[in-house]
Amino acid sequence: MLSFIIRRTLSMLATFIVVSIVIFLMMHSIPGGPFDGYDMPLPDNIKARLMADLGLDKPLWEQYLRYMWGVFRLDFGVPYQSPGETVMGLIAHAWVPSLVLGGLGVLIGAPLGILLGMAAALKRNSWIDYVASTIATLGLTIPVFVISTLLILVFAVWLKWTPASGWGEPKRWILPIAAYAAVPMATYARYARSAMLDTLNKPFVTVLRAKGLSERRIVFQHVLRNSAIPMITIFLPMFVGIATGSIFVEKIFRVPGLGAYFVSSIEKRDYPLEMALMLLISALFCISYLVSDVLYALLNPRIRLGGKDT
Amino acid sequence: MTEIATTPPALSTPAAAGRRSPLYLAWRRFAANRAALGAGIVLVVIILMAVFAPLVSKTGPNDQAFLTTSLAFPSAEHWFGIDDLGRDFFTRIVYGARVSLGIGLSAALFSLLLGMPLGALAGYLGGRFDWVIMRIIELFSVVPPLLAALLLATLTRGGVWAIVLISGLFGWVNVCLLVRAQVKSFREKEFIMAARALGASPWHIVWRHLLPNSVSPVIVGFVLAIPLAMMLEASLSFLGIGVQPPTPSWGQMINVGMNFMYFYWHMAVFPTAALALTILSASLLGDGLRDALDPTLKGR
Repeated sequence: MLSFIIRRTLSMLATFIVVSIVIFLMMHSIPGGPFDGYDMPLPDNIKARLMADLGLDKPLWEQYLRYMWGVFRLDFGVPYQSPGETVMGLIAHAWVPSLVLGGLGVLIGAPLGILLGMAAALKRNSWIDYVASTIATLGLTIPVFVISTLLILVFAVWLKWTPASGWGEPKRWILPIAAYAAVPMATYARYARSAMLDTLNKPFVTVLRAKGLSERRIVFQHVLRNSAIPMITIFLPMFVGIATGSIFVEKIFRVPGLGAYFVSSIEKRDYPLEMALMLLISALFCISYLVSDVLYALLNPRIRLGGKDT
Repeated sequence: MTEIATTPPALSTPAAAGRRSPLYLAWRRFAANRAALGAGIVLVVIILMAVFAPLVSKTGPNDQAFLTTSLAFPSAEHWFGIDDLGRDFFTRIVYGARVSLGIGLSAALFSLLLGMPLGALAGYLGGRFDWVIMRIIELFSVVPPLLAALLLATLTRGGVWAIVLISGLFGWVNVCLLVRAQVKSFREKEFIMAARALGASPWHIVWRHLLPNSVSPVIVGFVLAIPLAMMLEASLSFLGIGVQPPTPSWGQMINVGMNFMYFYWHMAVFPTAALALTILSASLLGDGLRDALDPTLKGR
């Protein structure tokens, strides 16, 4: 087990380093620099001075190594768009609305999706099954900014039940949370349904029924536990995936979170912030896959730990 | 695993089934899936409208012919109203379908060109080549496509072909995995061993035996790549770094419409509905085709 974890960690670390190099190169190959975008262009000597101050005149490999050395010591530099604070500080305060809304979205969406998927699996081909598969398909195919726009149109513009956007009193949180909840709900509705169906068809369920166990105990004690594994393993990657959705949800609902910085740091060639955000997301993905793999191995002793690739 | 929700009994009589071609059976399975069939019909209508856009509407998509009635609400002669720059909104939506579907199809084709040979080789050769491909796919799984696409789109300054390349670059992974799995499962079959024993080159085996046997995963990969590419295009255009105005794109129109939403609802409703409907029918069609062509992949 331990060697499995170590091997996966090393392989993820290698992936992470390659990703960081690719992202760094891509970022720096975008034409233009952080001081080219103003309406009043800076004189060349001042620009050269600024670039030298920020170390941007050094060769790329040196800049990369410097930055990664900083990352190693948890120093992500100073964002060019707000030089008064560090990248860490900026992320730390911009993180809050994103995490609150995204987290609540997942915490509300995932259980709803599981319930829906379970109901659909138990009452197959009934109306609830159709509702569940419709929701699953809609949530997984329609882009999150379309869902958000529709939510605002229906609930804020036409029905006038909720405010359309903003960040402040919890009343304003309802619509963004609903938008965030759509994807986890759809994902879980689909996964829970197929996992439950899979387990319900196993012979041991027939044995339990033959023993005369009540249907409720079969479902909650045996079937649910046996179909929990795929649901647990997709949780973390899905949670990190929410971060990408925040770009849209926060733009549409005017939430002052992390989402806007993904776009603005690229537009303004804000290299330290951009790199930090990209590394953050990739690192979270790496970690979440790693944890999922380990959890999967822990929960399911049948899988071979010999490391055979599937 | 799961099965098609609507399977009428007595789908085919056992006596007739023996003589039917696999393609016919696949069609029967597809036609029995009412959601997929409906989605297919909707998609055909949208494609026809996109192809014959100049016949559907009298004005061009960028003609500011109705400037005096800018932002007018839907009416009998302007079904979807007029937009903020005096253009017939229905025309814009119809031409937007051209952009969306065009990008979806070409990006899917590109991911096919990239994913099919790589998947076939990885599955057939195995070993080191397979290892390299799988590591590359792992890299792609760690970077969210949208973030990398943001970088790439800024790098290429957007535009239709840049979007096609970018979505292809992220779409090939699925095709590659599907083809690889299929080829791997066929590699050890008797007829491949026979071909090898007869001295066929690896190239010949892959091209003449393995790829023709991978037609269904290839079609499935192709069809499922279309909505993903359309989604990526709309997302990038929505953020302002995809298809550039005045080329009509639904993502871009939603972005503009958002600012008018509180007073001129038609600016937001129609592009949103058009995008949702098209992506939804493309994915339903893809799911239906997957279930029909390869029952083993069902409900993946």
